[in-house]
Amino acid sequence: MNMAWKEMKKNKVKFFILGSIVFLISLLTFMISGLANGLSQDNAALIKDLPNGQFYMNTDAEETYNLSRIDRSMQDQILHEQKDAVALSIQMGFLNDEKDKHHSVAFVTSTNSKLFKHVNRGEIVLDRTFEEAGIQVGDTLTNNQYSGKFVIKGFVDQKKYSHAPVAYINIEDYKEMYRVEDMQLVFIPGGDSSQEFTGLQSFSNKEFLQTIPSYSAEQTSLNMIIWFLVVISGMLFAIFFYMMNVQKIGLYGILKAIGVKTSTLFHMMWTQMLFITIIALVLSVTLSQVFNLIAPNGMPFSLSTETTLQLSFVFIMIGFLGATLSGIQIKKVAPLQAIQQGEI
Amino acid sequence: MAIFTMEEVRKTFTNGEVHEEVLKGINLSLREGEITALVGASGSGKSTLLTIAAGLQPASDGRVRFEGKNMTTMSSEQVRKIRASKFGFVFQFAHLVPFLTIEEQLLLMLEVSDSKTKKFEQKSEITNLLKLVGMEHRRHAYPSSLSGGEKQRVAIARAIIHKPKVLFADEPTASLDSKRSKEVLSLIRDLTKTLNITTLMVTHDEEMLTYADHIIKMSDGQIV
Repeated sequence: MNMAWKEMKKNKVKFFILGSIVFLISLLTFMISGLANGLSQDNAALIKDLPNGQFYMNTDAEETYNLSRIDRSMQDQILHEQKDAVALSIQMGFLNDEKDKHHSVAFVTSTNSKLFKHVNRGEIVLDRTFEEAGIQVGDTLTNNQYSGKFVIKGFVDQKKYSHAPVAYINIEDYKEMYRVEDMQLVFIPGGDSSQEFTGLQSFSNKEFLQTIPSYSAEQTSLNMIIWFLVVISGMLFAIFFYMMNVQKIGLYGILKAIGVKTSTLFHMMWTQMLFITIIALVLSVTLSQVFNLIAPNGMPFSLSTETTLQLSFVFIMIGFLGATLSGIQIKKVAPLQAIQQGEI
Repeated sequence: MAIFTMEEVRKTFTNGEVHEEVLKGINLSLREGEITALVGASGSGKSTLLTIAAGLQPASDGRVRFEGKNMTTMSSEQVRKIRASKFGFVFQFAHLVPFLTIEEQLLLMLEVSDSKTKKFEQKSEITNLLKLVGMEHRRHAYPSSLSGGEKQRVAIARAIIHKPKVLFADEPTASLDSKRSKEVLSLIRDLTKTLNITTLMVTHDEEMLTYADHIIKMSDGQIV
């Protein structure tokens, strides 16, 4: 007999309340996770979309890539030794459109590589947000540090850095604008930390992301909220089932007295926990995925199926753990207690 | 013939350095199909004796034999199986499962006892028993809608649906008024006689004694 189901059917309101709370907490977790991931993409898609490898900057720069200047001879040596290596620079700046409107951008330039867009002098490739703002291929843009005009050659999808759209420019234009000869960084795709170069400090992709000033603070806060919600949901299960078990100690004792196995009582509790959690998760996953599709363009929201499945699995595990911890009472309850208690 | 015996059964409770002997060498035997009433003042040890006999707590010393087998040397799982299939219980309160209908309470007991009764026969068995206890018309009702007397009738039906060998009843009429007590006692007597179930019943109630075949009086942990 499916006692778990019969109890839920008889006590619909009680289980509906628990299910609703799990649904709301899991939905909130998915939404915050979507925002965290969206902000992360908005902050560092340029870096996150690169293959795994190693970044190098000057040791003297103290982990601030803006202060890094890689000596030209060292750069040539690395690019000569490492086939796919690329030297690059990133600088925050502004572009003015034909209506003299300011646009904040991250200028990116690099040596020859498939990993970054390349343009001729006086040309520029922009993130697609510019196109959505009404700017078209062939339009011209200006910058007060650049003597000429940039002609837009095309747009790329989802290339952001430090919450600004990326603007790929020619290396010579970059040198003119920032009056530098050296690049800030070298990136070796597929490289590992065992490759060392004198005077350079190496960073994996993840380590490099942490050097972006806003990235670490932003992601740490959001991740803390996500895991806090996950822990709350686990505690909620533990407390809810604890309260229910306390109310049912007499019942458990009687059931044990008449010969019901302790394992049957645990299965009953686990079935209820799984049923509630799965229904709540199906609803919250569906809603969050729908939101993922209809979220406004300006909102940095990105919720992958993988993240959703991982978080759902964590929710189920934490619910299972919470319910099982509270179920230790079931194991402890003696049939005799029930006989000595009043009506259940 | 004795189906159930207790030999030199002792029970001592220890609280720190204080040892209290609640049962002091109990010897008794229950004969098949007979009702034995266990009477005595509060604290005389009758409830402790009943719970040890029913396998709900272990004895400190002595032997409890059911159908010739020593239960005191069995594992807790073996004792649980005996409780589920060979024993029936009626308590002071009905203790019905609140989220099961009356019919489901009886189906649960058949399931727990590993009854060999086939599914389609279970329903008719339940119908017959509910008719016997006068509750057939409430078979789909939940316990919350029953009166105290009706609940106790269902508890009796649950205790014997799987045809146990021994019925243990711990003050089954304590929560009922005098009229309902008589009804419940008559019911226990009629059913146990019809089904040849051996009964051990703890009571304070003098009225109950008229329904018993044997009366065992206890005082200070001993049979007197």
